[in-house]
Amino acid sequence: MSDAPGTARPTVGANARRLEVGLAAALREFVREPVNLALLVVLPPLVVVSYGSIMSSFPRLPYMSGSPETLGAVAGTLFVAGFLPGVIGLFQVISARNADARLSLAGFPRATLFGARLLTVLAASLLTAGVSLAALATRTDVASLPAAFGVLVLVGVLYGLVGMLVGTVLPRELEGSLVLIFLADVDEALASGIVRTDAAFTKLFPLHYPHELFGAAVDGREFATSDAAAAGAYVVVLGVAALAAYATLTGEGGLR
Amino acid sequence: MSSARTTFEMGLREYVRTPVLLALLVFLPAYFIAVFTRVMPEQTVPVAVAGETVPVGMKAVVAALMTPMAAALVGGIAGLFLMRSAREADTRLSIVGASVPELLAARGGVLTVAAVVASLVATAVMTVTYVPEHLEWFVAATVLAGLLYGSLGALVGLVFNRLAGVYVLMFGPLLDIFLAQNPLSTETHAVAPYLPGHYPTELAFDAAFTASVDPATLLWGIAYLVGVAALTGLAFRRALQVG
Repeated sequence: MSDAPGTARPTVGANARRLEVGLAAALREFVREPVNLALLVVLPPLVVVSYGSIMSSFPRLPYMSGSPETLGAVAGTLFVAGFLPGVIGLFQVISARNADARLSLAGFPRATLFGARLLTVLAASLLTAGVSLAALATRTDVASLPAAFGVLVLVGVLYGLVGMLVGTVLPRELEGSLVLIFLADVDEALASGIVRTDAAFTKLFPLHYPHELFGAAVDGREFATSDAAAAGAYVVVLGVAALAAYATLTGEGGLR
Repeated sequence: MSSARTTFEMGLREYVRTPVLLALLVFLPAYFIAVFTRVMPEQTVPVAVAGETVPVGMKAVVAALMTPMAAALVGGIAGLFLMRSAREADTRLSIVGASVPELLAARGGVLTVAAVVASLVATAVMTVTYVPEHLEWFVAATVLAGLLYGSLGALVGLVFNRLAGVYVLMFGPLLDIFLAQNPLSTETHAVAPYLPGHYPTELAFDAAFTASVDPATLLWGIAYLVGVAALTGLAFRRALQVG
């Protein structure tokens, strides 16, 4: 991934400053719309409580791993922890497309631009994970809060990367949102354990392994090494794919 | 009404000239229904339809539930971005003499086309797994779901912002149609009858699994739609005045 031609290679200190500037600008842009902040704080408890409440009308079916109410609250927590950062990742890339391409031409390293966007997603993931886990803890016992928090942050970064990748490949809001919503809703419905599925390919969806890990954290079981490895590998592969697509977008000729 | 017709045609042309969008409008509902019907096990479950509990195949239940949901997702996102992307143009059209009802009719027309396309594609894919008893009523239920969420998407987009709109449309249909209206639940949740997915889902299940359909369900659904559309119209008028 080479930088724009004719630019000197920046030092590590200069890169760190640029990363800081990029992150600060992205956060400021987000915070200046009060609706965005309100959504980050209000939506997680609303979704967690609504899922738990509505699922309490379901009977406990033989394949369900816990009471429907708890299952619903857990599914809602994972959903909101993943998809809020996912949407932020999507719009980060789409709305900053032209600005990032110009910054790249002006000598801003593409990896640093990508890093600044990813750090914003990470900040959103940390906040959403904390708020949604707090909401879940009011409804059900969470055996290992630190482990559960870690999994929720992982889910946020995972879907943040999905959002960034979708936003890079489909740079119009309508198309990007359509793809993200259809992917997210299928993923959530299949991973939640609310319906029984018997197809192996459901394991290919992003939430499958994090859902297993989160269930273990809530119940106080040890993480299965294979689940942790698969979830980690998913993040790495998505990160590489998103970075490659992003670098192509902000490279010369990739603006339009 | 020539302004409305021209605006409608231009809006439709914009969709037609975006092949990626057209492909997604066809592919995504098809993918949605195909995935859900593929992963469900071959088993029969008791489902309460029109006051009776009848045994129905799990694949058919999920197909009947997810088809209106696919239309709701497409309609909702189309409604959200239709109003947002056309806001500047609509403000200018309003200044040069187009009335609010004309603009609303034009945008509503484009939204209806998107909802109908998504409904037809989703229903066509559904028929691979299960053919509803009354196909025409089932399509009507699916289009109704698309229009209801389309109006809601437009309303949220006008009142809040795109982020709020996408959040609402990401969580709303799943919470409403997949969970609150799910026939696997043994009792109806207190809020379920008031949610936008209630009448479309009830109509879809009646049309899919019973010998006769009560037209009153469709009429109630249309009344709900008129109420949401009226609110959207008010928000649209206000947005034009502000813009």
